[in-house]
Amino acid sequence: MTQQTDAAGDQIREFVVEKLAQSKGITVTSDSDSLTEKGIIDSLGIFRLVAFLEETFHLSIADEDITHENFRSIDAIRDYVVNHSPK
Amino acid sequence: MAYLLTQLLRQSAQRFPERAAAWARKRTLTYAQLEEKSNQLARLLRGQGFGKGDRAGIFFPKAVESIVAMQGVMKAGGIYVPLDPQAPAERISYIIKDCGIRALLTSKAKFADLNATGTGETQFTVEVDSEAEIAGTPRRLPWSAMDSFPKTALNEAVISTDLAYILYTSGSTGRPKGVMLSHLNALTFVEWCARKFQVTWEDRLSNHAPHHFDLSVFDIYNTLEAGATVYMLPDEVSLFPASLAAFIDQNALTIWYSVPSALVFLLLHGNLKPGSLQGLRVLLFAGEVFPMKYLQDLISRMPHTEFYNLYGPTETNVCTYYQVDREKLASMEKLPIGRACENTEVFAVKDDGSIAGIGEEGELLARGTCVTPGYWGDPEKTARGVITNRWQKDFEERAYRTGDLVVLREDGNYDFTGRRDSMIKSRGYRIELGEIEAALLSHPSIREAVALAVPDPEIGSRIRAVVAPQESLGVSSAELQQHCATRIPRYMIPEVIDIRSSLPKTSTGKADRVRLTAELVPAEQSKT
Repeated sequence: MTQQTDAAGDQIREFVVEKLAQSKGITVTSDSDSLTEKGIIDSLGIFRLVAFLEETFHLSIADEDITHENFRSIDAIRDYVVNHSPK
Repeated sequence: MAYLLTQLLRQSAQRFPERAAAWARKRTLTYAQLEEKSNQLARLLRGQGFGKGDRAGIFFPKAVESIVAMQGVMKAGGIYVPLDPQAPAERISYIIKDCGIRALLTSKAKFADLNATGTGETQFTVEVDSEAEIAGTPRRLPWSAMDSFPKTALNEAVISTDLAYILYTSGSTGRPKGVMLSHLNALTFVEWCARKFQVTWEDRLSNHAPHHFDLSVFDIYNTLEAGATVYMLPDEVSLFPASLAAFIDQNALTIWYSVPSALVFLLLHGNLKPGSLQGLRVLLFAGEVFPMKYLQDLISRMPHTEFYNLYGPTETNVCTYYQVDREKLASMEKLPIGRACENTEVFAVKDDGSIAGIGEEGELLARGTCVTPGYWGDPEKTARGVITNRWQKDFEERAYRTGDLVVLREDGNYDFTGRRDSMIKSRGYRIELGEIEAALLSHPSIREAVALAVPDPEIGSRIRAVVAPQESLGVSSAELQQHCATRIPRYMIPEVIDIRSSLPKTSTGKADRVRLTAELVPAEQSKT
């Protein structure tokens, strides 16, 4: 993994753990944990997450990209961000 | 004509044995399979000593087995209690004990979650993902244990006024309460829907609502009644609006029923194209106010769909309805809750006890076979809500006090104007602020707590709390949120918790909610 990927992963993990999971009393044990199965992502949280990603990584995330494949875990989100970041 | 919910399945299984009854996570069950499996489950339950009037919890994420479970329990003469798979373990354990749940239909993972908080007097479990009996107490059976039983129907010594299911809702005194519903209650609603919406075997119905919410009663039982197919939406689809729109179109759903929040979500973020959602012939919504601008937008995209606003608390299921009139919609400020469903009667009562006339505000009461017998194990709460109908002079009957304030319009429709108490709606969820406060107060560091609803144009209300800790004890809002998560469902957890040294008081010494809400509303609005 490149440094850029690591850094992105760290920032995403921090947001997911501190802003989404913690307030619901859920612990995230690994980057491949299912965020939906554990209830970390809900209909309110998904948009806070999208707003965070857009601001932090200077992206514009299309509605059609807000899917389970891209958001199912911290790993999936990181991959999406790295693949869509402005070069 | 069916007088029990189990007969809806049996009748459709006779007419349409090979048709798909239910779909979930890419698996389907036909009517014949559903009928046979539920007969086997009923026999298994009876074999374990489970019988007439006993309660069984259903505690696993939505699957085709969910319907096998509901039918199997009722066929054994029992009452099913759908338990929220996402609720904290402590809350589920409370319900299991409060309701005296004797059998738990669950999964290994969900059963493991209950380990610390306990399963009370549950005598046995039947687990959907289990391959073999697991040693221990309670007795833990695999789902396949039912396979050795005959597939034929049992004789049901059940009548229409026997209970079919119990739905737990938020309780103002801090713990959830179980609304009892009989076969007759459920069928009153199902039959009304069948006539009104003309559901046929060709329909494909969504099931968006969790099974512990009564919107799912339409999804499941109107499907069974008609010989149609119900599509249970997995979380992966419901949570991602673009996936949700695609799911509706790809599965050619013809009837949709959900809270308005899900539709607003779909509208704003579902990437809807001109052809999207055109297969829906009927779109029903209930549970909260549908913001007018979003309703107008959505309806303009679906010229061939009939839209209905359905209203009613869990205690009556739907008791009034309003069919949206496209022409009138543009000039309406808000949608009425409408008029009583056929075979139900509603009336509004003023503070002085007289019936409200046109233009007058009163509390809405409902009478008819839709009314719940009451709350499980709580005759006091029952007596407060399910009252003798003193406006009925000719014979004794009961009516339900909805607690909703309404005004009767000239056209015979009722408008919802508010509530007397501190029950609020957020994303369609019914929430007693008192239950949130009780959760906060149960934290040892907290001396005072007030939960507040801050109005939100998209979801109804957002929840905030203001607390005052015991002297010299420090606590963070994150800690408090985590504490809440062990007691109340996630959608009730305050998004923001303000910690202060003390709360403002009214002249009677109680926390001044009005002032606290006023302080918070300008702050929220200026953020957007």
